[in-house]
Amino acid sequence: MQPILRLEGICKQFGGVTAAKDITFSMTPGQVHGLIGPNGAGKSTLMNIISGIYEPDWGSIYLNEQEITKIPAYTRARMGIGRTFQTPRFLQRSNIRDNLLIGTDLADQTGFLKGFFGKKGRPFDDELAELMEVAKFTFDWNDNVNSLPFGKRKLLEIVRSMLGHPKVMLVDEPAAGLNNKEIEHAMDLLNLAAQKRGIGVLLIEHSMDMIMDICSDIVVINFGQVIGMGGPKEISQNKAVIDAYLGGDDLA
Amino acid sequence: MKFKNLIGAGLICAIILIVPQFLHGYPMTVVNVALLFAITSYGISVMLGMGGQLSFAAVTFMGLGAYFVANTTTGRLGITIPTMLALVLTPIVFAGVAFLVGLVLLKLKGTYFTFATIALVQVAFTFFNNYSPLFGGPDGISGIPTLTFFDHSFRSSGSSNEWFYFISISVVLVAIVVERIRRSQLGRALASIRDNETAALTFGINTYLTKVIAFSIAGAFASFSGALWVMHGRFVGADMFNFLNAAQFIIMAMLGGVNSTVGIVIGALLVTGLPELFRAFQGYMQLFWGVAIIALMVFMPTGLAGIKDMIVEKIRKYKVCASRREGDADATDS
Repeated sequence: MQPILRLEGICKQFGGVTAAKDITFSMTPGQVHGLIGPNGAGKSTLMNIISGIYEPDWGSIYLNEQEITKIPAYTRARMGIGRTFQTPRFLQRSNIRDNLLIGTDLADQTGFLKGFFGKKGRPFDDELAELMEVAKFTFDWNDNVNSLPFGKRKLLEIVRSMLGHPKVMLVDEPAAGLNNKEIEHAMDLLNLAAQKRGIGVLLIEHSMDMIMDICSDIVVINFGQVIGMGGPKEISQNKAVIDAYLGGDDLA
Repeated sequence: MKFKNLIGAGLICAIILIVPQFLHGYPMTVVNVALLFAITSYGISVMLGMGGQLSFAAVTFMGLGAYFVANTTTGRLGITIPTMLALVLTPIVFAGVAFLVGLVLLKLKGTYFTFATIALVQVAFTFFNNYSPLFGGPDGISGIPTLTFFDHSFRSSGSSNEWFYFISISVVLVAIVVERIRRSQLGRALASIRDNETAALTFGINTYLTKVIAFSIAGAFASFSGALWVMHGRFVGADMFNFLNAAQFIIMAMLGGVNSTVGIVIGALLVTGLPELFRAFQGYMQLFWGVAIIALMVFMPTGLAGIKDMIVEKIRKYKVCASRREGDADATDS
């Protein structure tokens, strides 16, 4: 199958620190890809490079085999690269409705002028209901988004991203700070995104249970370099990976 | 919701009809000026309240609008156009000018952008004050014709009722535009820029262009308000457009609540009206505003509207607690 997103030889340095060194991998639509590695390995940097917040020093990024390396972040988002953040980022002073509309605005692309003269985007009640069914919580439209507990906000951020109809979704540590129930719901959401919507999901996560459970493919990086790639089985037996995680003494 | 809107509309109509029955002469002039300042203040509300971008440039665009009307309606430059046409043209022309200026200034971010707007105010003031061919130099431009609205000339006294009606209807129209922006895609895009510019990019928002559009809208409002001001007062001098007044407009917007559509009008009335009430202390006014802006920042960053919201929230919480206590009492009774 043609990859939905492909990275080729991505390099990025911050001063003397190499955050990414010759990173090459590709993602297939409809699958959850894990991106794991110790703290500071360069996972979030890579996500920022894919979504266009950082520009790579070297290498190319392809979305649907179209090169997007030089395209600005907001255009990439419109082309279908959605993402969530380690700590959820919402409109702090707005209610939940406006925060979800940010997601649907992205999918609709009506433009400011049409929006001003009252053109509403497509109705998304049904779609939202379907997603909230999976996320397993309800809310009042008019509440401020900060009235939701942290875990629910993280789930809501995945929902918002899905309302933007992305082709690729970058999900940064969705399980951090969630209780076991919420982690399950987060996994259900990601499975729904991949299997029903055919979104290629790239998942950064420290919870190995979650990674092993839903990822069909795992990329392991350390010190900005890919040190292992493959299915969950292979990865859990890969020596370099075990060394990196358990602190092996002869890591070249 | 619909019902609430209807009540609001009725209330506004009632206020517009009732006020001229009680106010005459100089107080009426002050109210008129305050209301047309509110239009400039709405521009600050769009930039600062929605988009989080602090710009002092509002007075400069007010000045440009005012001088544009002064030049085109008196025939100083050889052409004379009807006052009504000048009034309609001003916001269109200066939305364009503000767009171009915004393209340059908004290459800078945050505080750097703010400083650039201060520089713009100073540069523009120097031109206004010294370049006679266009701006009349230190003497300003006088003898500007009053507004002629479809064959009907407004009475030249600024305290007349017709001025009040015209200005307050303009304020209502601008307020409706601002409310619409707040609830549309543009408002949400601005809110996301205010809260987190990086995240805004990942929502597919062209942050730079969105800020330029907001700057352009603010410029259009300010120039429109400047055009009204000059027809209402029939004189324009550079003093109005210096940095002190730029700061005063920021206070105006912040006092009422920079994100509150009603608050903006209240802020404009207070900031314009208070110095008139305390004429004796006029020399200390700058000191007062200085202290006021610090106090505003520290104690009520969301202005009077924020205090209202806080009280409403307190009452709501109190009601919830009270009903719970009553519920307990009932339970023990039975």
